[in-house]
Amino acid sequence: MKDPILSVKNIEVKFKVRDRVLTAIRNISLDFEEHKVVAIVGESGSGKSVFTKTFTGMLDLNGEVTQGEIWFEGKNLCEFKTDAEWEQIRGKKIATVFQDPMTSLNPVRTIGYQISEVIIKHQGKSKAEAKKEAIELMEKVGIRDAERRYDEYPFMYSGGMRQRIVIAIALACHPKILICDEPTTALDVTIQAQIIKLIKDLAKEYDFTTIYITHDLGVVANVADNVAVMYGGQIIEYGTVEDIFYDSRHPYTWGLLSSLPQLGLKGEKLFAIRGTPPSLFNKIQGDAFAPRSNYAMKIDFLKEPPVFHVSDTHWAKTWLLDPRAPKVEKPEAIRDLHERMVELTKKGGTYGKR
Amino acid sequence: MANDKEVLLDVQDLEITFYNGKTPFRAVKGVNFQIYKGETFGLVGESGSGKTTIGRAIIRLNPNSNGQILYKGKRIDGKLTKSEKREVVRNIQMIFQDPAASLNERATIDYCVSEGLMNFHLYEDEADRQRKVDEALSSVGLLPEHKSRYPHEFSGGQRQRVGIARAMIMEPEFIIADEPISALDVSIRAQVLNLMNKFKEERGLTYLFIAHDLSVVRYFADRIGVIHNGEIVEIAPTEELFSYPLHPYTLSLLQAVPMPDPVIEKQKEVIVYSEEPRDPADGVPTLKEVRPGHFVFMTDNEMDGYQAKLAEMIKEAEKQ
Amino acid sequence: MENNNIPVEETVTDEIDMNDPSLFEMAIADDSESEHITAPVYSYWGSVFRRFFSSKIAIAMMIVAATIILFAFIQPMFSNYSPMVAPNINNKSMHYIRPFKMAGYPFGTDDVGNSLFDALWAGTKNSLIIALVSTLICEVVGIIVGMFWGFSKKVDAVMIEVYNVLSNIPTTLIAMILVYTMGGGFAQLIFALCVTSWIGTAYFIRVQVMIIRDREYNLASQCLGTPTWKIIINNIFPYLISVIITSVSRDVPSFISYEVALSFMGVGISQEYASLGRMVQKYAAYMTTASYLFWIPVATSAVICVSLYIVGQVLADASDPRTHMV
Repeated sequence: MKDPILSVKNIEVKFKVRDRVLTAIRNISLDFEEHKVVAIVGESGSGKSVFTKTFTGMLDLNGEVTQGEIWFEGKNLCEFKTDAEWEQIRGKKIATVFQDPMTSLNPVRTIGYQISEVIIKHQGKSKAEAKKEAIELMEKVGIRDAERRYDEYPFMYSGGMRQRIVIAIALACHPKILICDEPTTALDVTIQAQIIKLIKDLAKEYDFTTIYITHDLGVVANVADNVAVMYGGQIIEYGTVEDIFYDSRHPYTWGLLSSLPQLGLKGEKLFAIRGTPPSLFNKIQGDAFAPRSNYAMKIDFLKEPPVFHVSDTHWAKTWLLDPRAPKVEKPEAIRDLHERMVELTKKGGTYGKR
Repeated sequence: MANDKEVLLDVQDLEITFYNGKTPFRAVKGVNFQIYKGETFGLVGESGSGKTTIGRAIIRLNPNSNGQILYKGKRIDGKLTKSEKREVVRNIQMIFQDPAASLNERATIDYCVSEGLMNFHLYEDEADRQRKVDEALSSVGLLPEHKSRYPHEFSGGQRQRVGIARAMIMEPEFIIADEPISALDVSIRAQVLNLMNKFKEERGLTYLFIAHDLSVVRYFADRIGVIHNGEIVEIAPTEELFSYPLHPYTLSLLQAVPMPDPVIEKQKEVIVYSEEPRDPADGVPTLKEVRPGHFVFMTDNEMDGYQAKLAEMIKEAEKQ
Repeated sequence: MENNNIPVEETVTDEIDMNDPSLFEMAIADDSESEHITAPVYSYWGSVFRRFFSSKIAIAMMIVAATIILFAFIQPMFSNYSPMVAPNINNKSMHYIRPFKMAGYPFGTDDVGNSLFDALWAGTKNSLIIALVSTLICEVVGIIVGMFWGFSKKVDAVMIEVYNVLSNIPTTLIAMILVYTMGGGFAQLIFALCVTSWIGTAYFIRVQVMIIRDREYNLASQCLGTPTWKIIINNIFPYLISVIITSVSRDVPSFISYEVALSFMGVGISQEYASLGRMVQKYAAYMTTASYLFWIPVATSAVICVSLYIVGQVLADASDPRTHMV
């Protein structure tokens, strides 16, 4: 493997909420390979957003990285103290597209102004040049009639169009890494499909590495090369997209996949993960998922599982992979996931042309 | 087929207009559909399609500007007497989308769940009320000890179950579920769907399931109506719709659903639907039956085209 | 380590015997276990008081305000002060005694030899009564009207016109005219202060109600057949407690200031009653010769206003349930 573009080593993030301490990230290490799309999957509270916010120094004021290193272009980002240092990275080298485009856009400035402002600031171009490039970018992200829409305000754009603008702004500095934090969750499905495709196409053209954060496994299947599944502030399984969908090993991944209504057959009960996610205020002992797991063993409640390697590309943190563990079968719905999906989608015009 | 079944809800030419100051905005433009007793009807559309507005009109939260809504043959829209309104409330209940917003944060779970009971005094004495609340809570997997708690102490999934208990305690026949799982975390969506299925089996409920995502209704609904810009563009039994989607909007919606399978998902093409302007000379489009139970929104002269398309799809499917 | 018999329940990770095969037996947690809520039972008012008493400044200000109020209601019972009685009026040596110069007259005496200390508490008492009664009337009327105003679109159409008229007439002007025509009794002054002010409270409540009115939980109540009045009482009112306290904590000081201002302009409460406003008006003439006569009542009214305002603001903050979480 080549040198990773971004390398995270043993980081831990804590937040102070009132008088209590919440451990949002519990010792994560991960290498990001250049040009490989990594999708980080997890439910709310799993720490997926917090994790990527550490790459750009955007943690809320009550949070801090208490441990670990993040290596990018020969620098350890965890040693950054000043905003000036972060300015060199945030937006410029590592840009983020958030879920709600309205929070990233200034409602009282024109769309054009907001794009060219970034171009002027980061590339030092003149106003006229910046405008030209901004219009070009707007066309690139699929805004028709860009010249006219340059002078419009965010509220005159639809949700999908606004998200395109946010992407255009992110691209204005030609970042090396684009973090997409649930970029399509607030959008309609048909718009979602278009935005996902747009990000894919732009990644080739602008040569950036994409990190996706999402809770939607359908989106993951579409965009990802590699997948990291997060639970309770840790990555509990990591592998290629095929590893995760066709050969997952962690009971939480099994639960996530098999509870999808897309895989449900009429009349058959859906597999449901029991209970609720753990509170990160409490000290977590053993496997954080154990209390909800249908495959829990005594040791899961006592000792945190280490990383077990399944293959060169695939690892999982679960005691089920220990040689002493009993052999268990994964839930039926995902045993032959691909065959089931083919069966579900084969007829007539279903899902259109493929 | 469905035709011999009893029609529970009949929505006829329903039109709903909102006013932004003086400018009228037609959110629902003459919609027709029927829901049979005991079935689950899925109403699928994107934001602004009018799907939530229709659900709220049925339960009398939104007034309609035209058309009518019949429940068991009786009108339930417009002006009703007190006892008629009472009947509507007792028979039709709603499950809301956002469990964080749809519970009164300043009331205990006891109050939230028994609010409907108390409005109509549907219990004999205090002990009977307590018993009914306990039963309703345990039927959704919550505990009697939760009664003295407040909504903010619960997780999203638990709150949604409180919302379901509150509706179920009224022993309704018909439930409008307005995107009941879209605000929930993925790991607890299945819990709520299973719970709704359980009630359907136990009590023979009829559901109107409103969703923005076809994948959920495929699992849950018996028939599906696809709505776009305040007009229903296609109605068909679930398997029929997924096997032979005819309207181009249905096709683009189907295509857009992300499937949890990397091989299938990576081959897929994005279809962008754009409404083609119709020639007014072709007449006003309406829902027409292409084959029994399968309706498409079209003008008279489009019928041949759709029938040919359907025949081709069936041939294609048989080949496989 | 001496002890080799590590009990199975032992949960200290370092001491797990990894060779114990029973560790890899299935141990699936009980389903209902995760439904329990371990946090102590939440109580709204309990949390409000806990939040309130966690603020040191609030406690200090509450002690100040409570002392002043208690003193104002108790001390006049003993002094029987009346501005119309002046036993020392002919004894010139008793006039203009400076504060802390003579026993029994801690704040000295005024132009007619009356004790400023007695006058101050009698005045504070009356000013407080006027402010508190006016606040009570304004809030009760304002909240009731505001609730219906915010809830019903029909009422809104009418009330917004009433508001436009009433809110454009200055309260001071109305009060001046009313006191001139009706006289300066307690009831008259309170009526004059309240006759237009309630509309401000009502409007404030209306806006808050409109924000809450269309939230989904109210629609849910409608679906359950809850009548409007019950929705107002059970769904809307509890959400307004915090804003009502905010509004009260602004009203009391502002009515005290109104009373002072009106009296200063000579249209306040009539001469026979003591009040902070009357004192400020009467003693303003001595600002250069005996300034303590002017400044002591002014300072007292300022301390009352500020302490009550701070107590109210902290209480309003504490009664917002968003501050109770975690």
